[in-house]
Amino acid sequence: MINRYRWWEYLLIYLGMAVLLIFILAPFLEAFLVSLRPLDSLFSVPYRFVSDHMSFKAYVTMWQSVPLLWRYMLNSFFVAGSVTVLGLIAIIPAAYAFSRFEFRGRGLLMGAFLSVNMVSGAVLIIPLYKVMQSLGLLNSYISMIAPGVAFVIPTGIWLLRSYLVKIPKELEEAALVDGAGRLYILVRVIIPVALPGIMVVAITTFIAAYAQQFLYALTFNSVNELNPLPVGLYQFFGRQKVVWNELMAASLIGIIPVMLLYVFLQKFIVAGLTSGAVKE
Amino acid sequence: MGQLKMTEVRKTYGTMEVIKGVSLDIAHGEFVVFVGPSGCGKSTLLRMIAGLEEISGGEVAIDGTRVNDLPPVKRGISMVFQSYALYPHMSVYENIAFPLRVSKMPKAELDARVRRASSILKLDERLRHKPGQLSGGQRQRVAIGRSIVRDPQVFLFDEPLSNLDAALRAEMRVELSKLHGELDATMIYVTHDQVEAMTMADRIVVLDGGRISQVGSPLELYHKPANVFVAGFIGNPKMNFLPVTCLGADATGVTVELPGAGRLTLPVSPRDGIAGQALTLGIRPEHLSAEGGDLRLSLMPKVIERLGMQTVAYATHGEEETAFNAILPGSAPARAGTPLSLGLSAADCHLFDAEGQAFERHVALSALDPALMMAASEAG
Repeated sequence: MINRYRWWEYLLIYLGMAVLLIFILAPFLEAFLVSLRPLDSLFSVPYRFVSDHMSFKAYVTMWQSVPLLWRYMLNSFFVAGSVTVLGLIAIIPAAYAFSRFEFRGRGLLMGAFLSVNMVSGAVLIIPLYKVMQSLGLLNSYISMIAPGVAFVIPTGIWLLRSYLVKIPKELEEAALVDGAGRLYILVRVIIPVALPGIMVVAITTFIAAYAQQFLYALTFNSVNELNPLPVGLYQFFGRQKVVWNELMAASLIGIIPVMLLYVFLQKFIVAGLTSGAVKE
Repeated sequence: MGQLKMTEVRKTYGTMEVIKGVSLDIAHGEFVVFVGPSGCGKSTLLRMIAGLEEISGGEVAIDGTRVNDLPPVKRGISMVFQSYALYPHMSVYENIAFPLRVSKMPKAELDARVRRASSILKLDERLRHKPGQLSGGQRQRVAIGRSIVRDPQVFLFDEPLSNLDAALRAEMRVELSKLHGELDATMIYVTHDQVEAMTMADRIVVLDGGRISQVGSPLELYHKPANVFVAGFIGNPKMNFLPVTCLGADATGVTVELPGAGRLTLPVSPRDGIAGQALTLGIRPEHLSAEGGDLRLSLMPKVIERLGMQTVAYATHGEEETAFNAILPGSAPARAGTPLSLGLSAADCHLFDAEGQAFERHVALSALDPALMMAASEAG
């Protein structure tokens, strides 16, 4: 099929995409512009997007005004990374079991996991606080990591299961006939073949963990050194003024690890990794 | 040794019985082919032997040991799948070595075994490639390599050639037959392709609706089908069937009346009290001839296929327009829409009773056994 769309259909499609992209990217652009402008000119009336004396000064001074900034960034990365690794350790075997074995209550369990997804973490934050308190886990990394892991597992299982069911059953049967045990098959056959799917889950899990840690950190942690970046950014809120330009600069720098990770993991999400396995 | 014995093997899914009591003895070194239409249970039966499906009833024994509850690898079997089932992330070498890696074989021996398998299958040049870089035939050879590397007692093949194109399939058929000779192993092969069954099998097991319909050598099945199902399944185009009435029987055979065509005495073993019964006469398309014959039939060809070597006429017979096909040697002067008169010999005919069971034909043993066939041609 050539020329599937008319010219005006293309116009509408691109217009739609443009609106969506502007909606998503405009805040980033504005954050970047604010980070470049001197603090005094941020409150000009009428509001101006571009002003005089724009510079990258905020990207230097932010490290001095909040000395622990690097620590917050590391914390963020560490917490999200731990959530991802621990989450995957639980997600992969669970998704495999859900995709392959017939057992009583499978559908019910899957439904339960889905419904857990519908409850926001914020609803459970007070009960969770009591749990953390009675376990003596408040003010530790675990208090931020453990609930994070719990909340990413259901989504991860659903995502990965749908990928695993598409892996031909014959691959496992062949391995089974060749004498491999279930665990051996999972490690040597399923995981390598499912790598693209696992990477998708890893990325979504990491991003979810990166975003949700704010709530847990704010509630369960009051040790400054352990705070992740989103909480640490409050340090820019001074007594008299908020240092907006440095705040925006720090936010943008804080996004970089996620983007780097995405670029790094993306190469694993390649189509055709399973080519040659079976003849469809 | 790879001797296999099945006793009253059954398989049920819930209330549905898929395999309804199959008993079969397979000797060491035999090449046995399971054939049947789709849904007859042939793949299920193979998977039960492999240990991939649970056995609901009866017993499967390999070399005298009951294997019902043993995992596949402990049964001494290996299996080649229709879809190849290669591990896409491993090289050809690692694919073939996989069963040995699982059993933690020392490196030197593993390497020697993989090299031997790859040289048998002519894969030496391909050992470093990934399955994705191979052609269909090469992939299937890798799958076979993975199954022979372990020296199993029994090889199981689940329609291994059905994903290959026709030319490659013929080539692989010959290779598999050769492999069977080289390995001195028992092979059980599932297919729905009767050409594969006829060409490769020592014995063919025809399955119909979860039961064994007939077991026999390829020529036995061709010349002496036990029932209408086997008669119709073996041979392409399939055997023609005509309703006839039995007039009487004596030592020479059974005399039948073909409505509107005449009488014929067939050389088959008679049974008591069949006079007057409605029977079914079977005649293969290739046994019709343009000239002569004990009886002439008038057909109306609908479609003519000319293959050079032979001419296939898809025709109808009688006023009911029963489908009736004929194969004539060379280029026969047949045309669609022009009536065609063909002869048939009583000796070529098959006769079935109302239940579809065959009357035993008087066929010379030299027509069934290749060894006797050779002796007969040398003597004559």
